[in-house]
Amino acid sequence: MTALAAGGEQVAARTTAPPAPRRARRAGPIEWLLVHSVFLVVCAFFLIPFLWLLSAAFDERASAYIQWPAAPTIMNFVRIFTEHDFARVLANSVFVAVATMVLVVFAVSLAGYSLSRLDLRHKDWITYAVLLLQTMPISATMVPIYGLARQLGLRNSYLGLILIHAAIELPFLIWLMKGFFDSIPRHLEEAAWLDGRSRVRALFEIVLPLARPGLGIAAGLAFLSAWAEVLMVVILIDQDNLKTVPLAFYEAMRTQGGYTEVQYGVIAAMAVVYLLPVMVVFFGARRLMIRGLMSSTRGL
Amino acid sequence: MADVEYVDVWKQFASQASAAVQGLSLTIPDRELLVLLGPSGCGKTTALRMLAGLEEPDRGDIRIGGKSVVGLEPKDRDVALVFQSYALYPHLSAQDNIGYPLKVRHLSRAEQREKVSRVADMLGIGHLLPRRPAQLSGGEQQRVALARAIVREPRVFLMDEPLSNLDAKLRVHTRTELKTLQRELGTTMVFVTHDQAEAMSLANRIAVLNAGELQQIGTPDEVYDRPANVFVAEFIGSPPMNLLPASRHDDSLVVAGGWRIPAPALASAPNGEVTVGLRPEGISIEADGQTAEVVAVEPFGSEVIVDVLVGSQSLKIRAAPDVRPNPGSTVGIRADPAAVRLFDASTGLATH
Repeated sequence: MTALAAGGEQVAARTTAPPAPRRARRAGPIEWLLVHSVFLVVCAFFLIPFLWLLSAAFDERASAYIQWPAAPTIMNFVRIFTEHDFARVLANSVFVAVATMVLVVFAVSLAGYSLSRLDLRHKDWITYAVLLLQTMPISATMVPIYGLARQLGLRNSYLGLILIHAAIELPFLIWLMKGFFDSIPRHLEEAAWLDGRSRVRALFEIVLPLARPGLGIAAGLAFLSAWAEVLMVVILIDQDNLKTVPLAFYEAMRTQGGYTEVQYGVIAAMAVVYLLPVMVVFFGARRLMIRGLMSSTRGL
Repeated sequence: MADVEYVDVWKQFASQASAAVQGLSLTIPDRELLVLLGPSGCGKTTALRMLAGLEEPDRGDIRIGGKSVVGLEPKDRDVALVFQSYALYPHLSAQDNIGYPLKVRHLSRAEQREKVSRVADMLGIGHLLPRRPAQLSGGEQQRVALARAIVREPRVFLMDEPLSNLDAKLRVHTRTELKTLQRELGTTMVFVTHDQAEAMSLANRIAVLNAGELQQIGTPDEVYDRPANVFVAEFIGSPPMNLLPASRHDDSLVVAGGWRIPAPALASAPNGEVTVGLRPEGISIEADGQTAEVVAVEPFGSEVIVDVLVGSQSLKIRAAPDVRPNPGSTVGIRADPAAVRLFDASTGLATH
């Protein structure tokens, strides 16, 4: 509408319709082909081992090559539980991994919060020391840890497994949690203190819920690392009833000088069962992360 | 409700070269709205945080209601602080945010609900209670933060630039509301800002700080009409006070460019160099005054600010909206003797 009796220039009403929306630029056929071929190659690279796994798990006469099972059977799965005591091995792995995850999450949330918030005199030194520990390769520590574990009586025990598995993940995850805590504004805790909350309760009620994505990542990584850890288990465990799955794999692959044949079918069956808890944890941790990200980080 | 006292408070941060707060002493009587005003880094927020208990003074005492609070946890001081960023708990609804301090005090759910809805109605946000902070606009978030402070009925309200994140129109509107609210609630309030217009409009008294030191404390009229030094003179008022180097010869002041202004009669300072302060409204454009060249004309609707040059000295003059000299032309200017302020040329302190 034109403005009546207004000063300055008249602004005329719009008489033309807005132009039709332009279509997005379509990728040419060559681009499409290139992109999809690369995708295919990468996917194949990652999926082929799983293909082997599935084909070998159901094949009593599996080999190291991918082959369609001549007589598909579930006997491998039965055998791992009846002959190889896999139930026990799996239970050990689950117990150790879950306990490690709980211990690690507890430790890194407190450590990360302290490094982020507290006013320590040599905080910078401590932070960099923690980071430095991360650069140490595990294999270099095997011998000293063997000696230490023996002296402390931690060999052949759940406690030893859990403590050492946890220790391996601490440096990186403390660093990770510190980063997450740094991203939570201090004002939120200060507001809680002024509202009357003590420091510790404010941490639990206000800060930790907002650090959920970080805690989810830490929990997931701690579980996975403990789940897959083999080097430390090799030096710590030689009793059958305390074996974890990675150790079982390791032993199954040894042929003891050619006397026993490597039973690929059995190994593949173990691996398939081994994958299942990982998927559970992955989806659980992912949900924790997403829920945390959705509810908290906006509006800060 | 309580009065607040700062007694010779000092605070230095290890990471900074000079002290953030230097020897701050001031008394805020009960029910007063005091504004801590100053540029960024002047120490006003630090002073406020020390009152809240989020920082501790290195030296000196802070008292609320006559009793020292130094060493007391923030939660035991019974003060409420509204942060510049509002600091609303993002994972709680507005209702839970406002009710949080009540929950901490173990009030029953019914009592919490009742108090929250009463305060929400007072601020006109009752319909926003179920929403999360991320679903609220800036102005709405600010009101929720305010409600959270009010619902606690604290002894002292502390506000750390709560309006600076609002757009200009909302800021002016909320300013007035805050002033009325504070008067109705009758609670002592300490308000931090860098905006001198905000300070002038809100305060019962203004405390001007610069580089950690208190420059002047007084009512808005006092700091405007009688600034204690050149810093306050320049900081308060928009456009700022014109400060002109001049030399005094008995009963007249000679400013650069040969402009003679009659010196105030009672001034006791000896002859010599002085700094003359004249607010833009203390100079008028008159045909038979000192010649000055017009540099720019800024129309503001209700008034016009004319930038002129006297010799090498530039001045701003406040004039009626129909005064429109052409840039480049010459006009006559005259100073109102009653509006002349004198400052020591070396220390900057007011001498008249």
